[in-house]
Amino acid sequence: MRLKLHLIYILLLTGLFGGSVWTSQASAYLLPEKKWEVGLFQPFRYGFSEKINYSIHPILFFIMPNLSVKILHQNGKMFSSATRHGIYYPARLLKILQTGVQVGDKTASLIAPGFKIPHMLGFSSDYIFTKPYKTGALTLYVGVNLGLVFGDLDPRTSIDLPLVYHRLGVFYNKYGLDAGIDFSKNITDATSYSFDLDLKFLPGFSGSYSFEHKFLLHWQKSKKTRLSIGYKYVYGDFPYGKQSRVLPYFPLVESWVPMFDVQWISLGKIRKNK
Amino acid sequence: MYIRIFTVGFFLLVLSCEPFVSDFEQEIMGADIYESKNISLVEPTSKPKVLTWNIRFGSKRLPWFGDSCGDDVIMKKKDVESNLLEIASAINEINPDIVLLQEVDIFSKRSGYTNQIQYLLDNTNMNYGCYASIWKADFVPTNGLGKINMGNAILSKYNLKEAERIGLALRTDQSDLVKYFYLRRNILKVKIDDLGLYAVNIHATAFATDSTKQIHIDKYLEVLSKISDGGYSFVTGGDLNSLPPGANKYDFCDFDGCDSERFHIFDEKGEETHKEASYFDNFTGELEILEPLYLRYASAIDVDVMNSPDHFTHAPSTSEERWGIKYDRKLDYLFTNGPGGWISDSARTHQELWRLSDHTPVSGILTLPED
Repeated sequence: MRLKLHLIYILLLTGLFGGSVWTSQASAYLLPEKKWEVGLFQPFRYGFSEKINYSIHPILFFIMPNLSVKILHQNGKMFSSATRHGIYYPARLLKILQTGVQVGDKTASLIAPGFKIPHMLGFSSDYIFTKPYKTGALTLYVGVNLGLVFGDLDPRTSIDLPLVYHRLGVFYNKYGLDAGIDFSKNITDATSYSFDLDLKFLPGFSGSYSFEHKFLLHWQKSKKTRLSIGYKYVYGDFPYGKQSRVLPYFPLVESWVPMFDVQWISLGKIRKNK
Repeated sequence: MYIRIFTVGFFLLVLSCEPFVSDFEQEIMGADIYESKNISLVEPTSKPKVLTWNIRFGSKRLPWFGDSCGDDVIMKKKDVESNLLEIASAINEINPDIVLLQEVDIFSKRSGYTNQIQYLLDNTNMNYGCYASIWKADFVPTNGLGKINMGNAILSKYNLKEAERIGLALRTDQSDLVKYFYLRRNILKVKIDDLGLYAVNIHATAFATDSTKQIHIDKYLEVLSKISDGGYSFVTGGDLNSLPPGANKYDFCDFDGCDSERFHIFDEKGEETHKEASYFDNFTGELEILEPLYLRYASAIDVDVMNSPDHFTHAPSTSEERWGIKYDRKLDYLFTNGPGGWISDSARTHQELWRLSDHTPVSGILTLPED
């Protein structure tokens, strides 16, 4: 049972770090007031007002408290802009991943025992710019991430895996930068695709950058439900050199499997530009 | 547009097909070749000195969780480099022509992501190296060990050719999950034209409680026989994880067992329990498992003294601290089929270097025919 729980944590961690699937999350667009959306591996998002959206990862919240707010700054026919600000506390999750699970007479964990995991707070701020097209939208963003550590964080506690390393790296490096591009386009009324390219940069850090690319096909099954399938590709610099990986990847069967997600929304459409 | 997207997607998939855990499916594969950044040409000698050493990934006597009564998992890079420098100095002082190394790490998290073969080449008077991985995984979750690449290496002053990784059988006494993340042991074989011989390095299983060790030694003998049958000479050795024939003691459970461990009790199957790697009578014939090697080939450490305490090469790294034992068994060997054998009295077990690993090195000087 604990093994399953542990795998769920890892899955959620990967989901959290995998980036957003729903176009509205990546773009400068906001959900309309009092409407919400949530995905199997996506955060719960809520339209607090016409200009403010909140989001949290509901299950992950109990092991990694997190909150993000998106603020709309401009919403026009030519383009929309918004800022997104997030805060999260990863120490509890990391302690769980360090404790690990017992498999036979061995302990499986992502962080070696014996190291103290101090309190940590992560902050992120992004500026998002979205330009609509007839059948889709193009989004650009740049941002900065800060990692506050209240105590000594031993560099040997890093989890040197794609997606995770460059996100938690901000706590070892104190700060990081990111930028990205996101494009979405309708194919038919019910189908669309999206792809993105993200750069994460940790200046001066051992293993200082990663490029992430995601491609997804979406099927709007109903007004309230959408299914997505696709892949994520990561290429990055790590303390041991360069590495690339297509995700999700299942080690035991040594195979990539398609990324799959289901999203639910309280309203069929998300708010677009005026 | 769609064709372009799918083409890019396809290439990304192809470019990313490195396995998470390498299983080295092919029995014989090419081994990796390395070069020192400071190559100094050396005239071939008819009396090459050969050294074998399990360097324990540059951890010295660290109380590492996997092979001693300790909890340490991951070392600091500066500590590993400092340890490697001591190993390099010892190699330079012994001044061998060929070095057979076991437990060499390349970009493993536990050893600070050092490239140990390159480090040793660059900091010794050895010029060339080859490497065959035993344990290669993007992430091993046991105690948060992380990325690992450990293997056998051969360093030489002379150029290396035809480096081969010859896979050894996997243990059969493990669950599929443990086996997936576990070691894939091998024999590393390479040709040294300047000396007219092959160098063969092995690190046989230590922890198997089934007859995997017998399969490893049988394969080792087969590889050596093939070289001999082809009319070539070889020098070989490594960490055979086996005792010499006639060893006085074959059960080290009481000394190797950690405080919380109890052995020599009977399990639910009614079998007596022993500590893995500390008991050398797991199957019929294990006590004499090395007899064919001694019968067919010349041992650097003479048969008369092979069981002498002066030639013990190993004890767990925490044994000195717990019991005052630095070495209490011989696991490391050198053999040759060369017609000249070893120069008499040239062989040494370098017990003075016990602090640098949980194995002490063994060296000897070959006599090769002079052209």
